[in-house]
Amino acid sequence: MNRLAISWLVGLAILATAAAGFAQDAPGDVARGKTAFEHSCAICHGPGMHGGRLLPGTASLEAKYGGKVPPTLEDRTDLSPDYVMIVVRRGSEGMPFFRPTEVTKQDLRDIAAYLSRKTK
Amino acid sequence: MPKVLPAGVTAAAFASAVKEFQGVVGVDWVFTSDADVDTYRDAYSPLWDDPNEYVPSAAVAPDTVEQVQALVRIANRYKLPLYPVSTGKNLAYGSAAPSYSGSVVLDLKRMNRVLKIDEKRHFALVEPGVSYFDLYHYIHEHGLNVWIDVPDPGWGSPVGNALDHGVGYTASPFRDHFGSHCGMEVVTPTGEIMRTGMGALPNADSWQDYRYGVGPWVDGLFGQGNFGIVTKMGFWLFPQPEAMGTATVSVPRYADLEPLIEVLNYLEDSMLMTGMQNWSSPVGGVIGQPRPAELSALMANGWPTDEQIEAYVRAHGGVAWQVRLHFYGPEKIIRATCEYAQERLAQAIPNSTFELDEVLKLPPTPEQMRTHENDPHADHLGIPNMITYGSMSRRPNDPDPPQGHLDMFCVSPRTAQGIMQINRILYETARQLSLPSNASPFNGPNHWYHRCYMMAGMMTPTYRNDTPDRSAKNRRSRQIYETALKNLMAAGFGLYRTALGMQDLLVNQYSFGDHVLLRFQEAMKDAIDPNGIVAPGRYGVWPKRLRDQRRPDGLDAPVAASKESKGGRV
Repeated sequence: MNRLAISWLVGLAILATAAAGFAQDAPGDVARGKTAFEHSCAICHGPGMHGGRLLPGTASLEAKYGGKVPPTLEDRTDLSPDYVMIVVRRGSEGMPFFRPTEVTKQDLRDIAAYLSRKTK
Repeated sequence: MPKVLPAGVTAAAFASAVKEFQGVVGVDWVFTSDADVDTYRDAYSPLWDDPNEYVPSAAVAPDTVEQVQALVRIANRYKLPLYPVSTGKNLAYGSAAPSYSGSVVLDLKRMNRVLKIDEKRHFALVEPGVSYFDLYHYIHEHGLNVWIDVPDPGWGSPVGNALDHGVGYTASPFRDHFGSHCGMEVVTPTGEIMRTGMGALPNADSWQDYRYGVGPWVDGLFGQGNFGIVTKMGFWLFPQPEAMGTATVSVPRYADLEPLIEVLNYLEDSMLMTGMQNWSSPVGGVIGQPRPAELSALMANGWPTDEQIEAYVRAHGGVAWQVRLHFYGPEKIIRATCEYAQERLAQAIPNSTFELDEVLKLPPTPEQMRTHENDPHADHLGIPNMITYGSMSRRPNDPDPPQGHLDMFCVSPRTAQGIMQINRILYETARQLSLPSNASPFNGPNHWYHRCYMMAGMMTPTYRNDTPDRSAKNRRSRQIYETALKNLMAAGFGLYRTALGMQDLLVNQYSFGDHVLLRFQEAMKDAIDPNGIVAPGRYGVWPKRLRDQRRPDGLDAPVAASKESKGGRV
């Protein structure tokens, strides 16, 4: 089995385990999630600019996807709650992970609900 | 069951301690699951998933100082080390991970109260969990006429950053964050609440006005230290200045560096110019951008001679150095100071130029504020931001950046000789390691601290998660970092901070008098923290029972730890 396949299977297993852990909690609240997003996430993932450039998270996603999906998380239509929660707790590439004292478990569910509200 | 336990703590004892912790803070604020505990790893660790990675056994998050006291007393009974963190965003210097694996992270993020801001006496008193963003928003929401001084990025905490000797960008009395603190509250390693300076005098209203109190001043023990847990800290604030002026000085010759520094030293030390100097060289390329081919050619065959360097400058525009200067105060004083600075520079360097670029009246209008939140002025206006973090993220010219890095900045005297010696050491180190080097004669200093320069060393990448060949890449980064550190320090250029795992190596270089400084610190550690429960190993200070954990020769050198003190993976 090649490295990519192993990596994919491991990723799937992690996703399943983590999703099972999150699933037992109550669903998040979109309105509270907007507030929590603005407090905890928007400094990197908001639509603004810093130093003549997009904010770091927004700029990074624009460079990654080249416009195939919106670089601002609030405009995405393909995010699932589980995916959001996993990325916040496990980090992704240059983004570090966030502790449950920074983004509480309730805040995390709310942020996940807010960022996945446009996903069909 | 945690992945790792500290020495002498059995699984049963650990479980019992956790139960007692839960009794203090509630079950929701003691984190023991792998998923939660993993968020306390060092996201920039050069040891990611290595058996020697610095990892905690659990984390506990108190909300009050009384809870901190109770947790410390429990930890003493079990000899279970606690590693305090504030906002835990100390990326490149350890994040929220402990300096001794198996420690329980004491996460102070929930203690996030702005306790007092006095806009007449210009100070703040805050808890450790308050971030720079929190404090900035608090000041603006309450319409207070004071500034904070921010590091980059701005998601850290004033308490944590100051205690790690972090720095900022406004006026010199405030850029040194530890140097601008006044008064602490500390939970001692035996669980008492201590207040320093005038805080020790009951009924005193001067805790944030006079920092020394009487007798030996102990605050320094808590900067990069492990002598207690800081639960409150006072900071002097900058009364909002009436204006900020920016000016650009340019000098034509490489050799003008020395007289230029002498003039700037005079302006700085006379307190005529309290703002920061931003150094650059128009012929040296731009940080983060590919090096100009002509400069690569100049550096291809060894360090160039002074004549070659001057010829290169003349051939590429004739400006060797540029320094952007910042001035704060009333506009007429800024203009008068700039006029004087221009005259003094012209006397010292006849062909220099001095341009007053802008005098920005403060406070900015809402429109100016929106503009300046989004430009490089933000740091100099005390506006927290994430600009620097963005420079390390994925960009079109860097589509696959590493997940982290190790920071390296070393102290240089404010002399041309110091700057050039460091650049040359970095250049030779790169050759020694067969690396492409960004070191050149045109790398200028950083001017965060008053009265010294900080030169960027080798920023080595770190990798986590499923990066191919991650382990080998991290091992190589460790080798590069340690080699550069040793070469710089052998010549007397010391790093002022470093990452987890590198602290023993760094401290080991500060060896005057057969390491008497470290021996002095550890004698105090043993007296003040007899069970060695507060952050063992932080900046090389180990309690007696764990002293053989020390890694004075680097992360890949053998460890002397005995079986009894080693602790380890469960």
